[in-house]
Amino acid sequence: MAIALAEVRLLIEASLPGAEVEVSDQTGSQDHLEATVTAAQFKGLSRIDQHRLVKKAVQARFDDGSIHALTIKTGVPG
Amino acid sequence: MAEPELKTKVEELINDHEVLLFMKGTPEQPQCGFSMRVVHVLESMGIEYAALDVLPALDPLRQATGEIADWRTFPQLYVKGELVGGCDIVEEMAESGELAEMLGARQPAAEELTAKQELQADPQQSPPMQIEN
Repeated sequence: MAIALAEVRLLIEASLPGAEVEVSDQTGSQDHLEATVTAAQFKGLSRIDQHRLVKKAVQARFDDGSIHALTIKTGVPG
Repeated sequence: MAEPELKTKVEELINDHEVLLFMKGTPEQPQCGFSMRVVHVLESMGIEYAALDVLPALDPLRQATGEIADWRTFPQLYVKGELVGGCDIVEEMAESGELAEMLGARQPAAEELTAKQELQADPQQSPPMQIEN
């Protein structure tokens, strides 16, 4: 089962309001995704905590098998 | 819920090893491209580390690390009892020099760190962040 890239983007944006989110498909199979997230909410957080926030946003779609792999890149705006 | 006994064992392992890698497969024979890439980073820095193959007990270990570190995908690299991250974070920190600094290791040349192309083509690569239903 695959997931629409737009849905992943919406999930992340919903949990990190104001974030700039790009999601791409790494393999063409729609389940190995890469998300680049720039969010003010990341300020002052370690990378691992930044990644935890992104993962939490999409956890349900990992749990139901829609996403197998998500490469995450995070940054703070400015 | 993780088995309390396993969770305690995992916590002990994390605390007893300065650098500990949970990975799929072994450093000699990684079973996942992402685990292989973290091994490559550690080896290129000449870091001494302990490695634990998670494949024989994948689900219980997911539960345990989920409860301990709020992280359920492998590989996971722990340094001094703290989760540093998975492949993405380890590679980012390796490239920036933060990892070498954290580990007191020498910073390898950029080309030593990235053998990504050939590793990604590895046929044994398994989905690295699969979470069981």
